[in-house]
Amino acid sequence: MSGDLLRVLLLGLQLGFVAVLYLILFGFARSLLRDLRSAEAQQLASRVGIGRLSVLESPDDEPPAGTTIALGPINSLGRNVNNTIYVEDDFASANHAMLTFRGRSWFIEDQGSTNGTYVNGHRIDRPVALSFGDELMIGRVRMRLER
Amino acid sequence: MRLTLAWRWTELRMLLPLLLLVPLGFVVTHVAEAGVLEPGPLTLAFGYVALMLVAHAILVLSGHRGDQLLLPLVGTIGGAGLVILNRLAPDVEPTQAFGLQLDVAATQLAWFAVGLVAMLAVAIGLRDDGLLRHYKYTWAAVGIGLLVLTAFLGYEVNGARLWLDLGPIAIQPGEFIKIILVVFIAGYLADNRALLTGASLRIGPIRVPPLPYLLPMLALFGLVMLIAVRQNDLGQALLLFGIFLTMLFVATGRRSYVLIGLLLFVAGSFAAYKLFPHVAARVDIWIDPFADPTNKGFQPVRGLFALARGGLFGEGLGQGLPQSIPYVHTDFIFAAVAEELGLVGAFALLALFLAFVFRGLRIAMLARDEFSALLAVGLTASLALQTLIIVAGNLKLVPLTGITLPFVSYGGSSVLASFVMVGLLLNVSHRTARAVDREQGLKDR
Amino acid sequence: MIATNVRRLAVYLLLAFVVVSGGLGWWQILDAPALNARAENPQVIAARRSAMRGTIFDAKGALLASSAVIDGVSRRTYTDAAFSHLIGYASLRFGTTGVERAYDDILTGRADPNPLRDLMNDILNRRPEPKDLTLTIDKRLQDFAAAQLGDAIGAVVAIDPRTGAILAMTSIPTFDATPISELPDPAGPAMARITGRPGNPLVDRARQGRYVPGSIMKVLTAAAALDAGAITAHTTFPDQPQQETDGFVVNGFTIREHDLRPVTPALWSLSPALQVSSNIFFAHVGLELGAQRFLEYAHRFGFCAGGSIGSGARALPVSASYVTAETDGDCGPFTDDVELASASFGQARVSVTPIQMALIAATIANDGVMPALHAVRDVRVHAADAAGGPSSAVLEESPSGDGSRVISVDAARVTRSAMVDAVEGELGRLYAGQGSVQLYGTGSDVHTAGKTGTAQRGEGQAPHSWFIGFAPAQGDAQPSIAVAVLIEGGGSGAGRAAPIGGAVMAEWLRLAGGG
Repeated sequence: MSGDLLRVLLLGLQLGFVAVLYLILFGFARSLLRDLRSAEAQQLASRVGIGRLSVLESPDDEPPAGTTIALGPINSLGRNVNNTIYVEDDFASANHAMLTFRGRSWFIEDQGSTNGTYVNGHRIDRPVALSFGDELMIGRVRMRLER
Repeated sequence: MRLTLAWRWTELRMLLPLLLLVPLGFVVTHVAEAGVLEPGPLTLAFGYVALMLVAHAILVLSGHRGDQLLLPLVGTIGGAGLVILNRLAPDVEPTQAFGLQLDVAATQLAWFAVGLVAMLAVAIGLRDDGLLRHYKYTWAAVGIGLLVLTAFLGYEVNGARLWLDLGPIAIQPGEFIKIILVVFIAGYLADNRALLTGASLRIGPIRVPPLPYLLPMLALFGLVMLIAVRQNDLGQALLLFGIFLTMLFVATGRRSYVLIGLLLFVAGSFAAYKLFPHVAARVDIWIDPFADPTNKGFQPVRGLFALARGGLFGEGLGQGLPQSIPYVHTDFIFAAVAEELGLVGAFALLALFLAFVFRGLRIAMLARDEFSALLAVGLTASLALQTLIIVAGNLKLVPLTGITLPFVSYGGSSVLASFVMVGLLLNVSHRTARAVDREQGLKDR
Repeated sequence: MIATNVRRLAVYLLLAFVVVSGGLGWWQILDAPALNARAENPQVIAARRSAMRGTIFDAKGALLASSAVIDGVSRRTYTDAAFSHLIGYASLRFGTTGVERAYDDILTGRADPNPLRDLMNDILNRRPEPKDLTLTIDKRLQDFAAAQLGDAIGAVVAIDPRTGAILAMTSIPTFDATPISELPDPAGPAMARITGRPGNPLVDRARQGRYVPGSIMKVLTAAAALDAGAITAHTTFPDQPQQETDGFVVNGFTIREHDLRPVTPALWSLSPALQVSSNIFFAHVGLELGAQRFLEYAHRFGFCAGGSIGSGARALPVSASYVTAETDGDCGPFTDDVELASASFGQARVSVTPIQMALIAATIANDGVMPALHAVRDVRVHAADAAGGPSSAVLEESPSGDGSRVISVDAARVTRSAMVDAVEGELGRLYAGQGSVQLYGTGSDVHTAGKTGTAQRGEGQAPHSWFIGFAPAQGDAQPSIAVAVLIEGGGSGAGRAAPIGGAVMAEWLRLAGGG
């Protein structure tokens, strides 16, 4: 029976090894989850005060539909690749519009584009103040200003 | 200037359980093999944990601000790997180097030491990304040079030409080429992003990536197929191309590019299958290893048997038959883990790898510049894909390849390269933390 | 934007790890039993190479197969070639067959009959302990049956109709299983010598041989028709006497009677028809029963699907018998009434195994209940000294599987009395040209029931000689042995197979009576 005793002890040690492995694993899982939450909180905090553009529709997929673009205080939009926000669309002009944050609110100004800039479906002919949730249209690309 | 020493408490806390895990694994193996209840030799086990703790201490003393979970994760994976190698050691031929005869576990421990030194050097030594980023074409040249050298001067082991003889030791340049590739691609994508977001080409209804993507993609594809065919190294080819596609995806967000790349790879592989008998032979073994279980399919079949023997809870550490698989300590170490620790243990190992991957991706997300982010993504993807390819190969999900399971498989080049990659990841997260500190400092003032 | 893509990448990589874990689950859990059972598995090879196998004894404790581990290699010795087909061999080179295969996990000790102990052994990684088997067969009867066949190619199967226990089961030609179960190297030439001999010695004719049954099939036709109510013991067919000489035209095809020798055709009921083995009578019975019901009863008696000796994982497979052409492992439909009429007297496309025919005899003997066959009586603790007989510690008795009722008691009793007449009746003796039943009766005051068969094959080929029967069969006696005897190309059933069947039954009654 001493053979069996050894086998039981060995089994205990083997189970112990796997148990320790899992304890370590759970420790890592806990740390990972905690960091994930704090990272999300950090990102949320960093978003406050700055706006974002959420791309709703983009036939040529540049910027890709469904993505959001973080905005700086001054953003140029157009078909020229040197714009802050490059819009690849046959109906967009090279230098299409400027999106700027002045003081407390966002403004959009058309840069003499061929097909015009639309805010909530209305073509603009002068700088227009925007509020969060407004929809912009540059060529066929539809975007929404978000907090 | 006041020197404040911030201790890395999380790292220490997650490293300490290794003091239990690794020696316990050695004890279990000894009891199972000797059939006597005694601890057996534990020098290697404690030596391993001591190495990890010393590396930790050096990071603390250097004021390193990098991620604190990477080293413990790698330490746990490597520790479990060392336990398995120690268990396999009696059945694997010992190695001879510098007049010493060491079993595989001892040799591996020596390589761990070398790897940790390299990791620390990279993690602490690189002040900024200049050396990597600005000399990217030099790195690319070095990489291609290594590749060509291996392809023509390398020697074959088991039908794959992977080794370069460097006097007392032999290295596998492939392990280092992937790091160089990651550095180069990260630099290329980061520097040319303005150009790269240019218009995509259209050929009929199909959208093709713009030329600045397309050309390196095609060049790399050609290189990769060359590796696959010339060196008979499907795993390396798949890995390098996978790294490239992953980084391309992260840089552009275009799933279609990845899809096109994959189609290209599949088409290329199919052509290779039709054209080259040695590639075809490998694929045929993969599709039905049981067609020739005693000869060509011997190794994969033995691997599958090991998995089946393991079952849910395993045969028990030290009580299986992993030595029945040829090259178990390199190609099939995962099957050995699955046999002796069962599905439960193998799953834990996979979960540890996954945790490491998530950690690496987190470093990429937090990185302050594109080069660092892409570098972190590339390094993480490299380790993730490497793990997935070899594990899936063991499980007959993809053709079996000779690449290693990072930190677990026996092999100096693999261990060294893997630790260099950890060092780079630590370096990226260190620089991110420093940047955050500076910003905080500015605000505080 | 990179952060968003990295998050997506994380999801893809997570999915990849999930897929890989799924693969792990497939090999380690779902497909593991199949892989573990494969002969190429090194665990299986190593276990077989070095592990002790349990001993196999006959019903009385006589040694049949034993192992010895010499220089780390397990070698097996078999004492009696008459058992070679049933027990099979356990060869390092050629794998396992027969009982050695069916009970491999028990004999090697890889499995314990007690599931709880099995689990504990597994968890604690205990060394497997071999277990011994005792068969239901008495070596004396087995050897007697083999000796009766002599050099004739054929098979003898004897069953206890009450329990389904196999009492004898031998196939000739046989082979010595010892040389192919010894070291792998000499096993090759030994095997080549066996397969080089004429008559396919490796084939177990009792289980795997399929033959035209001829007239013994009439027992099944009669039993089925009686049970279905298609005929009674007194049913006659008015056209039959004339057709005995003129032939019976079915669908434009004329069925002719075989040579009735001195017997004059008359209006026969079941008993005289079975005594003279009238094909015309049974063609009428079959047509009366109809194709549908004929097939249904064939299925009930175990035709049209593979059978087994024993049950579950430890069953020895028995080849399927068919009454029509095989279609997808089942009996196909009868093509026309000619085939049905011919099948009713055992010709056309009927093909049967000796075991199947022994089962029919056993079912009639057992008042219509078909017993479940088994050849292994129990599993015992390994006896350290094989020569000293089996241990008394029985670990597991083979479950005496419940028989299944195939036909009513009445139908079985009427068939039985017709079969007794076929052995002992006036007409039968006249037909057989024998003055006495001694030749294939038991030769004592014990009555026997039986039916001979002379199965016609092609032109120029001698017919197979068949006999099925059981004893004791008088009155209400409970028969204790049912037999089937086949001799390939042996000629008339009465001439070759019947005397052997009678002798085997007589020997068994003598052995059982003498203790």
